[in-house]
Amino acid sequence: MSSRREFLAATLAATGAALAPRLAPAAPKAMTVVRESSFIKAFDDYFAKTLLPEYEKLTGIKMSYEAVSVGGMLTRLTTIVETKSGPEIAMTAVNWPNLFDASLVDLTDVATEIGKKIGPWHDNIHDAVVVNKKWKALPWGNIGQLEAYRTDWFKEVGVTKFPETWEDLLAAGRLLKKKGHPFGFELGHGFGDNHGWLYPLLWSYGGREVDKDGKTILLDSDETAKAVDFCRRFYKETMLEDVLGWTDVNNNKAYLGEQISCTNNASSILVVAKRDFPDIAKVTDHGLNPQGPKGRFHILNPVSHAIVSSAPDVAAAKAFLRWLYDDKQMSRWLTSGEAYYAPFLTAYDNHPMWNPEPRYLPYKESLKTSRLHGWPGPPSPAMSESVAKYVLVDMFAKACRGDSTKDVIATAAAQLKQIYKAK
Amino acid sequence: MSVRPATLARPAPVAGRPFTLRRLLEREGFFSWLMLSPGVLFLLAFVAYPFFYGIFLSLQDRRVASTGVFVGLANFVTLAHDAVFWQVTRNTFFYVVVTTVFKLVGGLGMALVMNQSFRGRNLTRAFLLLPFIVPTALSTVAWMWILDPTFSVVNWLLVHAGVISSGYSFLGNATLAMWSLVVVNTWRGMPFYGITLLAGLQTISPELYEAAAIDGATTTQRFLYVTLPVIKPVLIIVTMFSVIFTFGDFQLIYALTHGGPANATHVFSTWAFDIGMSAGQLGMGAAVALAILPALAVLIVALTLYLRRE
Repeated sequence: MSSRREFLAATLAATGAALAPRLAPAAPKAMTVVRESSFIKAFDDYFAKTLLPEYEKLTGIKMSYEAVSVGGMLTRLTTIVETKSGPEIAMTAVNWPNLFDASLVDLTDVATEIGKKIGPWHDNIHDAVVVNKKWKALPWGNIGQLEAYRTDWFKEVGVTKFPETWEDLLAAGRLLKKKGHPFGFELGHGFGDNHGWLYPLLWSYGGREVDKDGKTILLDSDETAKAVDFCRRFYKETMLEDVLGWTDVNNNKAYLGEQISCTNNASSILVVAKRDFPDIAKVTDHGLNPQGPKGRFHILNPVSHAIVSSAPDVAAAKAFLRWLYDDKQMSRWLTSGEAYYAPFLTAYDNHPMWNPEPRYLPYKESLKTSRLHGWPGPPSPAMSESVAKYVLVDMFAKACRGDSTKDVIATAAAQLKQIYKAK
Repeated sequence: MSVRPATLARPAPVAGRPFTLRRLLEREGFFSWLMLSPGVLFLLAFVAYPFFYGIFLSLQDRRVASTGVFVGLANFVTLAHDAVFWQVTRNTFFYVVVTTVFKLVGGLGMALVMNQSFRGRNLTRAFLLLPFIVPTALSTVAWMWILDPTFSVVNWLLVHAGVISSGYSFLGNATLAMWSLVVVNTWRGMPFYGITLLAGLQTISPELYEAAAIDGATTTQRFLYVTLPVIKPVLIIVTMFSVIFTFGDFQLIYALTHGGPANATHVFSTWAFDIGMSAGQLGMGAAVALAILPALAVLIVALTLYLRRE
């Protein structure tokens, strides 16, 4: 026979259980994650066909995946934010958390937890996702932009190791162009492969767009002029004219079509070559961006995940991100990506994902010297405007087509003054 | 004293007759508005609302995900001081004027040929419509290959015919890039002119040509004094539509050049998209898109007045 206390406890428990569904907040029936398709099908498939069904089974929440074509994610995020409807969890890139600050949920608590467990986070990612001391997105990984090159053709001209400096690369390119193997570095209006080498080139010669204050335009300098002069020679002596009109697909196509011997790109060229062009894959390797007189730089191209503030159940969305960024899930998903994404968590610096293919290791190494586009300026909306208007890309492109160094710098500096509202 | 036509006369209400839906539908005023309402609602929702919202945005400093601040005409003043804006304006007008002339001349020629009797005429007409039918994004991909310096069939033919030693950079050279876009737009838009003008040509009575021939008119004179005057209203309408469509052309340019090299092919629509969506400057993007309005308004008003006078 049960005691009075036991009876009371059992009664309370039964009452609580009966009331619980009514008192506790109802779990959402469904959630959607929107991401830009990567060039790595296995990575996208692992998320959509393995991870999301796992979470669905675990929680009973119907998880949907919306894939956006490459280059279209910014537009999609804009529509989600402006219409306050659509997926709850969205991929962000570069400095978007700064652009969409007001419409993204504060994820500081989640980021801190993850940082404690498998961090700390790399320092340079803070610029991209921390806005006014609040984490507005959880960094996933960096899509590095390095040099993909043909080892066999480089050997033919006596270059057995990827050149360390821009001048050495120019010298190699000159020889390769004479042999019918020109370089192909994008100088047109694409979204990544142009900025991927032109900002690092400018920085490596000491040039800067804007100062840390985001107000003082620094572009008009001797250092910028040296970078522009080098770029003109580099283009004329090593490349095809067509690079001036290239967008991001062109260099991949030209490389895999064996039309060029070197280009600046993410690791997708090697990934695709291994799958579809094994002979080309065998003679492809990666090199860090060469050094200039003022150092070596790379573009910071981070992919992150954010929760939009219009999400009906922020707690549920956070719970999903906590689960996704748990080592058990994160580790598997990163591995499926063939090192396409270099994670920003120091515990992953020696992750097994780097072991199967040593040719991806430079992408990990490049993280240390990677900066956001407008560096050292703040990651502001003005930075996005400068990138969207191709100010730097067009400065170099105009010089390559024959305009004077002085003119192209003056035009670009005037544009930057307008964009940054500088005096 | 004017007499109202019997068909428009409203039946006098009959006292005591019950109100029915049928009687309501028989009232012309009600029925005509009922028939018009789907179209009017559609225009209000998808044309008037975005248009007026665009004007509203253009008068604001409005960044994505933030509240706008009214700035009057400041966005337009900023644009007026931007060298790229004037380059975009020149590009847009060049693109619209040159493609319109090409499409007009080519389309008229196409219509005149299609108006003749020959074997396989219907099949030829169907094939000529293909560029217009195929989705722009799809045909643009084909043109990307055609204009690729390495894989271009044009370059291959020219190199193998010994005309040139190495392929042209159709999209890398600023001048060639713009002319390439003109060619692609003309290829895609010409059938619209062709088929519309063909419809106009088929309304011309053969008796008019017979009378002109009896009067001793030559082929050129028959074209100038019979064909052209009759199809002139159609010609003006089709040109007006085409100019409006071409001013707003986006997909083709965005997919082929994205406004490059160095802004050489940026037009209002592509530049507005970059500023509004990529830079998140919704107010400024709307201002760029609206900058096209005065030119279009003048054109439409002038052509409409001309048509009414005719």
